[in-house]
Amino acid sequence: MVDVFNVEVYFIVLRESLEAIIVVSVLLAFLKQGLGKATDDPAVYKRLVRQVYIGAFTGVLVCLIIGAAFIGTYYSLGNDIWSESEDIWEGTFCVFATVLISIMGVAMLRINKMQEKWRIKIAKALLASPDDFKGRFKLGYLTKKYAMFVLPFITCLREGLEAVVFVGGVGLVHASSARAYPLPVVCGLISGMAVGVFLYYGGSRSSLQVFLCISTAILYLISAGLFSRAVWDFETNEFNNLTGGDASESGDGAGSYDITKSVWHVNCCNPELDNGWDVFNALLGWQNSASYGSVISYNVYWIFLMAVLLLMLYEEKHGHLPFCKKLRLIHFNPMYWLKNKKKNELTQEEQEELFRRVQEKFAKTANAEEDAGGIEVSEKKTDTGSEINESADIESGENNKHVQTEVVQTETLEKN
Amino acid sequence: MLFKRLLTVLGAAVGFAAAETHTLYWNATWADANPDGYFERPVVSCNGTFPWPQVHINKGDTVLLYLTNGLGDHNTTVHFHGIFQHNSNEMDGPEMVNQCPIPDGETMLYNFTITDQAGAYWYHSHTRGQYADGFRGAFIIHDTDEEPFTYDEEVSVTIAEWYHDLSDPLIATFLNLYNPTGAEPIPQTLLFNDSYNCTWDVQPNTTYKLNIISTGFFVSQYFWIEDHNMTVVQIDGINVTPNTTDLLYITAAQRYTVLITTKDDTSQNYAIMQKMDEDMLDNEDTVISLNNTSTMSYDSSNGAVEQSYIDSYDSMMDDFYLEPVDAIEIYDDYDYLITIDVIMTNLDNGINYAFFNNITYTSPKVPTLTTVFTAGEEATNQIVYGTNTHAYVLQKDEIVQIVVNNQDTGKHPFHLHGHVFQVLERHESISDDDSPVGYNESDHAEWPQYPMRRDTFYVKPQSYFVIRFKADNPGVWFFHCHIEWHLIQGLAITLIEDPLSIQANQSLSDSYLSACEAAGVPTAGNAAGNTEDYLDLTGQNVQCKDLPAGFTARGIVALVFSCITGIVGCVVIGIYGMAEVHGIEKLVVEDLNVSVNDNDDNEDTGSQSVYDVEVAHTGDVDGETGSASGNSSSARKV
Repeated sequence: MVDVFNVEVYFIVLRESLEAIIVVSVLLAFLKQGLGKATDDPAVYKRLVRQVYIGAFTGVLVCLIIGAAFIGTYYSLGNDIWSESEDIWEGTFCVFATVLISIMGVAMLRINKMQEKWRIKIAKALLASPDDFKGRFKLGYLTKKYAMFVLPFITCLREGLEAVVFVGGVGLVHASSARAYPLPVVCGLISGMAVGVFLYYGGSRSSLQVFLCISTAILYLISAGLFSRAVWDFETNEFNNLTGGDASESGDGAGSYDITKSVWHVNCCNPELDNGWDVFNALLGWQNSASYGSVISYNVYWIFLMAVLLLMLYEEKHGHLPFCKKLRLIHFNPMYWLKNKKKNELTQEEQEELFRRVQEKFAKTANAEEDAGGIEVSEKKTDTGSEINESADIESGENNKHVQTEVVQTETLEKN
Repeated sequence: MLFKRLLTVLGAAVGFAAAETHTLYWNATWADANPDGYFERPVVSCNGTFPWPQVHINKGDTVLLYLTNGLGDHNTTVHFHGIFQHNSNEMDGPEMVNQCPIPDGETMLYNFTITDQAGAYWYHSHTRGQYADGFRGAFIIHDTDEEPFTYDEEVSVTIAEWYHDLSDPLIATFLNLYNPTGAEPIPQTLLFNDSYNCTWDVQPNTTYKLNIISTGFFVSQYFWIEDHNMTVVQIDGINVTPNTTDLLYITAAQRYTVLITTKDDTSQNYAIMQKMDEDMLDNEDTVISLNNTSTMSYDSSNGAVEQSYIDSYDSMMDDFYLEPVDAIEIYDDYDYLITIDVIMTNLDNGINYAFFNNITYTSPKVPTLTTVFTAGEEATNQIVYGTNTHAYVLQKDEIVQIVVNNQDTGKHPFHLHGHVFQVLERHESISDDDSPVGYNESDHAEWPQYPMRRDTFYVKPQSYFVIRFKADNPGVWFFHCHIEWHLIQGLAITLIEDPLSIQANQSLSDSYLSACEAAGVPTAGNAAGNTEDYLDLTGQNVQCKDLPAGFTARGIVALVFSCITGIVGCVVIGIYGMAEVHGIEKLVVEDLNVSVNDNDDNEDTGSQSVYDVEVAHTGDVDGETGSASGNSSSARKV
């Protein structure tokens, strides 16, 4: 049994695949329910689903290439360069994945609350390309357009890289025979995929809102764990640098961690060494040796997230943040100010006029849709050469919100 | 560059020379030296010269050594390794055990007589780490009785490793939070007679008695002479039945006396090789040379030699099987058993310490010998010596058995002051992959009838040794690992042998007491310096507390709090996700900063009118405001 099935390898593969597959299956279920079912626009749906798959497979491919390069270097130089900088790599990837998951999660929850017709409009808008050449390569635009690509790509790249290097590079050194590898790798992947399939179909069948809340909560649990792990990785890296790498040699016993920063330490259940606990680590951020940094970062992450969600909820209900009628969350985004919003704010008069028009427009389109039983979205065609249209900061009368909405109303084509 | 430091050759002293008194004035001072030819650094010198002198005396002689400390902010002491110090326990040397440290400018008189010992010994500072800086030298006692072997000439050499850094910074980085595995500092080179490129001029057809003295600090060494056999006749001053080998393994502080008969042929010189035991080094990154080559010169015209190689260390002599010439039988069963486990682990300050049974030796506030003299009747109560000096009080003439169970994966040469001990058993080393093997009284190897005796003996990785000695030398005797790094980590116990006899037959000298006063160390009291109640140890020096085991209150609070935040967070996600908000669309569109084309193609009427409502921020740098103009009425167009 042992010579054909290496338990360590199984758990490594399971752990790494689990995280990636959860992210991918939640995204797919979201698309299927939130966008696919909502409209009869298979083009947009397919395009987004393709993004997810391409992201995932590109991630796996790139990780295989990088992993092979690492292992090749390892065996040719006899020097484990991955292990030396492992914590930095892991930490950086973790931070990146945390940020992406955090943003995606809120966006998914929010989009879920929208009327169905709007979901597809937004999806389509996100996929649309700006007409001007410069705009196409803007980071903000690219990340939005390829949001469904970036997250699975990064996640698969990170998890895959770890799996390849652990199993291929580190594992082989300790393994007695290469025969012990194929089976656990396959079994690990199958176990991970089973969870993914369960999540996907579970998500596709149950109520979207409930499913999204649960799966987003799982994503945030992973994300909080990742954030905590990133801090832990950076701290461990610093400690290892100071100790000259000694700490990593000593397993999970005394001396393997920085006592001055330790909150708890148990000489077992090490997610990097003990089977099973790495899965616990991947899903909930478990550490057998928690530091102040890892504990505080975990809690700060959750508290920050809760604050943001509650503020968003307040803003959605009241149109502004508590206590500050003119302040909205978007104002905390530096890009908002960089883009010079203030300059173009309109007079009160203009705002009111524009708002009135927009209101009518909404009413109009709503009626039209009811009649048509569906909508068709056409590519926006903007004539950049024409004069600037009326634009205004309006105070939305709808729902009596104090929303500073800047609306540009454009007519590009009018035919009778 | 050729150094000839091997010229101290004395013929075997035969006959009844009258006991002499050797008066030595040593001033330990800093000087610069470059003993390995690679790097000049400050060293502790003897009266400004380095290396320290070889001291030769005869059995029965008296030594009067005036040691003056000229080292500035460093204390000093000197210990004569292997000397029994009968009735002169205060001359033994270990700081805060047998004496106070000698502070800068002070002089202490070491006054002792060698009554019953001969052979190769050595002296070194017994102040923390100091002999790594050079304070060490050979101490040869020539036997006035007839020796059980014959030779033509006697030569003594020292072998030791050398560091390019001073011991102070090495200790600072060694006993450090950031050295959590307790990795010992790595030496740079090996020295021969605290020098390099040495030559030993030999005559053909001559039998030499070569005293090989390890003045080492840390690493054990392999020692061999190219194409020559060595007949071991004495170890640590104990004559043994001749045993011929071509390879010796010498730990720190061990001495081997070997007979070497030179060849008839003077056409070739041979290499004298020293090689570090690499297994003891955590890494070799900072090692300049693992070995050192000296020349055994039959004829100087042959020049210096190249290093010689050996294929394996298999032929290495195992000192356990040597038999003393005097054939003293194994002591009958022990009266007192000390079982001590060697453990290296970290305390709450993150520093890696060495432990005997969970106690890492911590110096008392008063030297243990001072406590013996001032505690009166209480001196027989081991409590007065403190709980962290790991003191054992031994009765007069009892047979003491010490079992050392090494739970560490390294080799440890243990040294007992004031005695040689019988070695009953040494277990083979246990591989790192297996659990340590401890001594089992009911199941052990057969013990030799005439056990080998010596004063420094190493235990192999993860196994044990069993030694016995007779407590017939009243005094305070240190038993410690002679890897100085491990002594600094606290791998030591204190044996207080027949304290009432010490009080009755010995006394503290003025020199001893004045050193204490100069060093600001109390001249009376228990380990805590308490002179009122010797059983009250309040204020004694103790080791740092243990690492917390598992979850402490802090850990539980942190874990529970983290769990709660996680759960509450999930609930908030649920609240936010389930909350129905009217008109969220515009907020999303706006926050995403995208253009949504609300194209309304009325299929019923077939109208091709398209309403483009661009909801976006004005003033976007990407020029969305520059879109085609329209008027408000267009929005109302049907």
